Amino acid sequence: MAAVVKVKQDMPPPGGYGPIDYKRHLPRRGLSGYSLFAIGIGSMLMGYYKLVKWNRERRRLLIEDLETRIALFPLLQAESDRRTLRLLRENLEEEAKIMKDVPGWKVGESVFHSDRWIPPSTDELYYLRPLSELHNEKLGLQWYV
Amino acid sequence: MLTLPPPTPHLLVSSSVLKAAAHHYGSQCDKPNKEFMLCRWEEKDPRKCLKEGKQVNQCALEFFRKIKAHCAEPFTEYWTCIDYTNLQELRRCRKQQLVFDDCVLENLGWVRPDLGELSKVTKVQTDRPIPENVYHSRPRPEPNPPIEGDLKPAKYGSRLFFWNW
Amino acid sequence: MKALLSNLMSPLMYMIPVLIAVAFFTLIERKTLGYMQLRKGPNIVGPCGLLQPVADGVKLFIKEPVYPSNSSTMLFTLSPILALLLSLSVWLPLPLPFPLADLNLGLLFLISMSSFMVYSILWSGWASNSKYALVGALRAVAQTISYEVTLGIILLSLILFSGGFNMQTFMTTQEPAYLMFSSWPLMMMWYISTLAETNRAPFDLSEGESELVSGFNVEYAAGPFALFFLAEYANILMMNTLTTILFLNPSHINNTPELFSLSLVSKMMLLSVGFLWIRASYPRFRYDQLMHLLWKNFLPITLAMCLWHMSMPTAFSGLPPML
Repeated sequence: MAAVVKVKQDMPPPGGYGPIDYKRHLPRRGLSGYSLFAIGIGSMLMGYYKLVKWNRERRRLLIEDLETRIALFPLLQAESDRRTLRLLRENLEEEAKIMKDVPGWKVGESVFHSDRWIPPSTDELYYLRPLSELHNEKLGLQWYV
Repeated sequence: MLTLPPPTPHLLVSSSVLKAAAHHYGSQCDKPNKEFMLCRWEEKDPRKCLKEGKQVNQCALEFFRKIKAHCAEPFTEYWTCIDYTNLQELRRCRKQQLVFDDCVLENLGWVRPDLGELSKVTKVQTDRPIPENVYHSRPRPEPNPPIEGDLKPAKYGSRLFFWNW
Repeated sequence: MKALLSNLMSPLMYMIPVLIAVAFFTLIERKTLGYMQLRKGPNIVGPCGLLQPVADGVKLFIKEPVYPSNSSTMLFTLSPILALLLSLSVWLPLPLPFPLADLNLGLLFLISMSSFMVYSILWSGWASNSKYALVGALRAVAQTISYEVTLGIILLSLILFSGGFNMQTFMTTQEPAYLMFSSWPLMMMWYISTLAETNRAPFDLSEGESELVSGFNVEYAAGPFALFFLAEYANILMMNTLTTILFLNPSHINNTPELFSLSLVSKMMLLSVGFLWIRASYPRFRYDQLMHLLWKNFLPITLAMCLWHMSMPTAFSGLPPML
């Protein structure tokens, strides 16, 4: 077989194939990681700065608020003292009226073995009055309007 | 048939009015306020401080009357502004406060106290004697008599440490 | 009259809008998911399907409720009621802009109430007397109470910034700048934790249809199921309102007080639609991944941030007025 049939075999090109492009090519959108990081840290710093400044200011405002209370406290205390004493006195007279037929009843006898001032409880102050007044005194500040 | 004296007039104003006026009130009625608080602190008994309390109220009434006579308009502006929210924040009403302060300074010569001035500790000059024994405490018991006899440590140690073998 | 007004009417004035919001939120969810999957979503009942939630509700409530014969009937009935009751009572201290009850420890109340939600899940799973329900309930409970840990710690560091458990102090705190700017890492973790807390996708393992046949509420149908459903969605809306109040909500008196509620609710709706978007986009977590995310990532980071938020204001004397 002299005449060798020249078969052209399918071979890779000399030097081999080029590199295959298998990587995904996605467009890089948006900011880079570093700049995102910088923006994040920057916003934190800005936020902390404003917050710290504002908190210092808020402490000052609190002092101002507390000073209004300091200023008003004697007035409120004086009025509430007088209201309490007046209620106690009215209770005493009412008690004398109610218990006048009971022999041996001492009006206004203290339950304590002491003559110092003991702050009366709310129930003690309002026990001869309508229940609504007691409720108003106890819970009145919890209602809106 | 109450035998009580006619009541001292209370201040019938709402909280925002009080709060609006508080700083000037604190500096103007400083004397009776401090007097009352000193009495209340020393006596521990509201029954003994009624006179001082009345003076506090007198001063407050006088104070608000003066405001009403001279600076009613700016004051009303100011406290309605404070009344706007439930928090009654003073910082939202600086404009109205400035007008009110100016008016008060002009007509009555009152200066608004600086921040921190009202919360200072103050000394009060008073002629009220220092009360004795406000707590009505009984006399202190006599100290225990000194123990006679020879005290020795327990022979077998404390009973509480029975596990100490 | 006054008692009637304050004890019955004002809670109702709170509950009814919340329930209506919940109803339409389900519609928004189905519509959003539909458009994200290139379909239309409900559009038959009413214009654009607007009456769909009404139809669903009517259908669910006129169906016969089924009680499994071996179930504990008492607990089985009570737990959905408890779920709805809790998720409605949580709205109590939220300032919108005025709370129904101005609690000093409002945030504490909120956290404790949302912790109670666990019991309704647990009881319903147990009372169904079905192993699927029981396993689903246990998984849901484990997940919920795990994520409450980070929620609590994040809340603590925010409280260190604002100086109070009252939510109105948060509004005051955020007057110069939203808390989101200063603590956005916390906000990211908070948002993801609220996803897990409300059993939403991608943390919806308690309702994973494929492996757990709908989790703790398998045995529920009709009315009781509707109660669970309402409770869950009311909880989602509440959590997003809370996120808005904590991170993106300045005081209502600043410039336009009359628009406060509107801006609050629109921010809340944006966050809620974020929930739906996440549901449309992400696959479900595996259970171990879920637990690792919490205990190995979120917990150390939040603890570190809590320490930082304690020390930083102290160092720069920026502590809020604590009263």
